[in-house]
Amino acid sequence: MPEPDKALLRKAVARAVAGLTATGRLTIVEVAADAMTVFRIHRDDNGRPRCHYWSLSWGDLTSEHGWGDESPRQAVLRAADLPSADEVVLVCSFPDGAEASRVLGWLSEERPAAVHPVDGPVTAIVEDVLASDPLSRSYDLVVMRADHPSGRLRLGSKQLFPIGAVPGTRAEVTVRCEPGDEYGTAFAVVTWQGREPRLLSVHSARLTPGRYLLTAELMRPGKVRFTGLGELTRDPRDWSDLVAAAPSQLPPRTGPAHLICAVEVCGPDAKVEERLSRVRQVVSFLSAELAGLLRVSLVAYGAHSYDDRSQGEHPVEVAAWQVAPEHALAALEPLEERGAITEGYPYYPHAAQLEDMLDAVARRLSTSEHMRTVLLTVGDRPPHPVRANRSLILPCPHPHDWQSLLSRVQRRPDTLLAAICDRRDASAHPAWRQLGADAVAHLDALDIRGLATDLGLSAPAALPIPFPLLDETE
Amino acid sequence: MQSDPAPGPPAHDIAMWGAPGSGKTTLLAALNIALMRRKDDWKIIGSDAASSDYLIERTNALSSGRVFPEASQSLEHYRWTLVGPTERHKRRWWRRLRPAPPLKIGISMVDAPGGLFSAAPLRTGNGSGGVDDPRRRLMDNLVKSRGLVFLFDPIREFELGDAFNHLHPPLTRLAEKMLETGELRDGKLPHHVAVCITKFDDPRVLETAEKLNLLDPAPDDEYGFPRVSSEDARDLFRALCEVSASGNADMVVNALDQFFDRTRVEFFVTSSIGFFVRPQTKTFDWHDYQNLLPEAGKDLRIRGQVHPINVVEPMLWLGQRLASGGSR
Ligand SMILES: Nc1nc2c(ncn2[C@@H]2O[C@H](COP(=O)(O)OP(=O)(O)O)[C@@H](O)[C@H]2O)c(=O)[nH]1
Ligand SMILES: [Mg+2]
Repeated sequence: MPEPDKALLRKAVARAVAGLTATGRLTIVEVAADAMTVFRIHRDDNGRPRCHYWSLSWGDLTSEHGWGDESPRQAVLRAADLPSADEVVLVCSFPDGAEASRVLGWLSEERPAAVHPVDGPVTAIVEDVLASDPLSRSYDLVVMRADHPSGRLRLGSKQLFPIGAVPGTRAEVTVRCEPGDEYGTAFAVVTWQGREPRLLSVHSARLTPGRYLLTAELMRPGKVRFTGLGELTRDPRDWSDLVAAAPSQLPPRTGPAHLICAVEVCGPDAKVEERLSRVRQVVSFLSAELAGLLRVSLVAYGAHSYDDRSQGEHPVEVAAWQVAPEHALAALEPLEERGAITEGYPYYPHAAQLEDMLDAVARRLSTSEHMRTVLLTVGDRPPHPVRANRSLILPCPHPHDWQSLLSRVQRRPDTLLAAICDRRDASAHPAWRQLGADAVAHLDALDIRGLATDLGLSAPAALPIPFPLLDETE
Repeated sequence: MQSDPAPGPPAHDIAMWGAPGSGKTTLLAALNIALMRRKDDWKIIGSDAASSDYLIERTNALSSGRVFPEASQSLEHYRWTLVGPTERHKRRWWRRLRPAPPLKIGISMVDAPGGLFSAAPLRTGNGSGGVDDPRRRLMDNLVKSRGLVFLFDPIREFELGDAFNHLHPPLTRLAEKMLETGELRDGKLPHHVAVCITKFDDPRVLETAEKLNLLDPAPDDEYGFPRVSSEDARDLFRALCEVSASGNADMVVNALDQFFDRTRVEFFVTSSIGFFVRPQTKTFDWHDYQNLLPEAGKDLRIRGQVHPINVVEPMLWLGQRLASGGSR
């Protein structure tokens, strides 16, 4: 069965459109019973075919001078502007008309071309061809890629549709969305012209942070529809606005982290109980916050003994070292049951083995491992000095120097010091100010979330990332 | 008071004196310990049963219990005699022409609760003789004695600064009395005074002495304890007075100069409990020398062995001064 004229014409137009280069021009002239329509088609910056068309009726053409004059011919050729076109398609939808034949004659004379007969309107065919034109450039989604060790962010793209993709094609991408800026998260589609991206469209939405499976559908050239994200709205920003909105660095990383809880277990029983319960709360909170990323150590320390006749020292206990939070909580139980230790003679009443605790911690902390480490000290007694001084506190028997040990811990990369002190700032020993250098809380008024935020141990909301993040591993 | 023949009551009375808490009781107990540690034959003996018991009790508390003697609760008068070596115990190769009787020094102390010597109680006579009586006894004590041990507690002076209040009123009254009986000499009191700066073992005192370069190495000291010589003790005393809490301590210096002939005043830097030394090393350690051990809710304890510093010396100095020129 021979193909109808319409189908043949559609094929010819489609072939001509497909053959359009970035700068090429295609002119289609439809000559009808009482007018002619000129379709001028080119590709825009994104490679999308664009069509402008205009009509010229025979009435307008001959109103002044009739067909006999030279001017209608000039007017026809001027309107069609065939010499500027790289490709020309002539269509005749009223082959029997004298006017139509005359005009076609003038056109063919200037630019010989096959004349396609057709019996319906050409506009619909052209629109249909343009709407289903296979992509001449790939369409990419703008994403941010994070370089994990450094936390650096790069703006990049992820291909959604390759060259040749036709409308109806779908693509799926998994992205992670962090809290965005005032526009939320921007889903921008670009095409590439050499090394230069060209913005095709931007839509944005305020999304709940998390992972999203994004489906992109190519509706027609220049139009991509996203599903899986909820309502997206048009975003008025241009490419330079978007580039300016992109941060260059990930917000401080959350986890993995090592939390060392050092608890003073001497003093009044009620205080010791309170301190241990605070440790339990902090560990429970952070283990929920950081999921599998948290490692916990538990160190208990009491008071020194200065009576050489007695059995003497109760050394610092490392009850757990870098274990899962559940194990640390289990190790906390016997301490809770035991309560206060090293009370009464011969144990020193006004200071504690803080410096011994620091030594035990400093000794165990490896220098090679790079993980956020937090030393959380919970107590209130001052350390023993390294030598006798005006404080009158007896020197540490070992003798450890709390100042140098504390500085050593503090100097370690990515290591923070936090304290939960029983005493208000003014009455606490200077050591406690240093022990709480990065975060301090009072035993009675502990804001765990605030403490966790200060230590970079809770999900940060501070730095907006206004583009979907693509994890390199995916 | 006149010289007595050898047997019987001691020849010269020393009265001990200082603000409450300045360390009088501890000094006496330490004196006993220090004498027992000495290789010579000085000893301290109670002149009555109560005084003997007191001494034994306080000494035991200090040396074996390692607790400080309890703060004086009631006003009591104690008398002891410091008895020097006799000739035959000295086993010297020469012979003296005639045997000398042992030197005896009487020490009396009215161990009183705080405030007795200060100006305040003088204004509060309650009519009954109860308040006046101990004060009269004290005054008797001072009048009768020719040697005074004045304890100056630098720690108390840092914190309270009331040494002057404890020194000046009794001196004024003493001078009054002595003037009445015509015993003033060149307008000064006839006493010899040993000013004992106590608690030398406290870091605040030791550090001050060190900063002022007043520490003498004592090469003959078996533990290597630092010391401040008597000449330097006066400078230390002045320096400690400068950091007094009240700022009145310079008046302490002036009062001493006013009432006593300068040649009769000697300064001693003392510590009843001394410095801590490890039993293993038996050597003074600059990093760890405090001999006080606080105990929760209680008073201080003594951490190690008691090594009294300069507690015998003031007594012997006074004894020798009194023996040689008691009635100068
Ligand atoms: N560091 C130090 N403290 C002393 C010494 N002697 C006494 N103390 C302290 O001073 C307090 C009062 O001493 P005490 O002898 O009772 O003084 P008194 O009231 O003058 O008899 C004692 O409880 C100790 O805390 C000493 O040699 N060194
Ligand atoms: Mg006393």
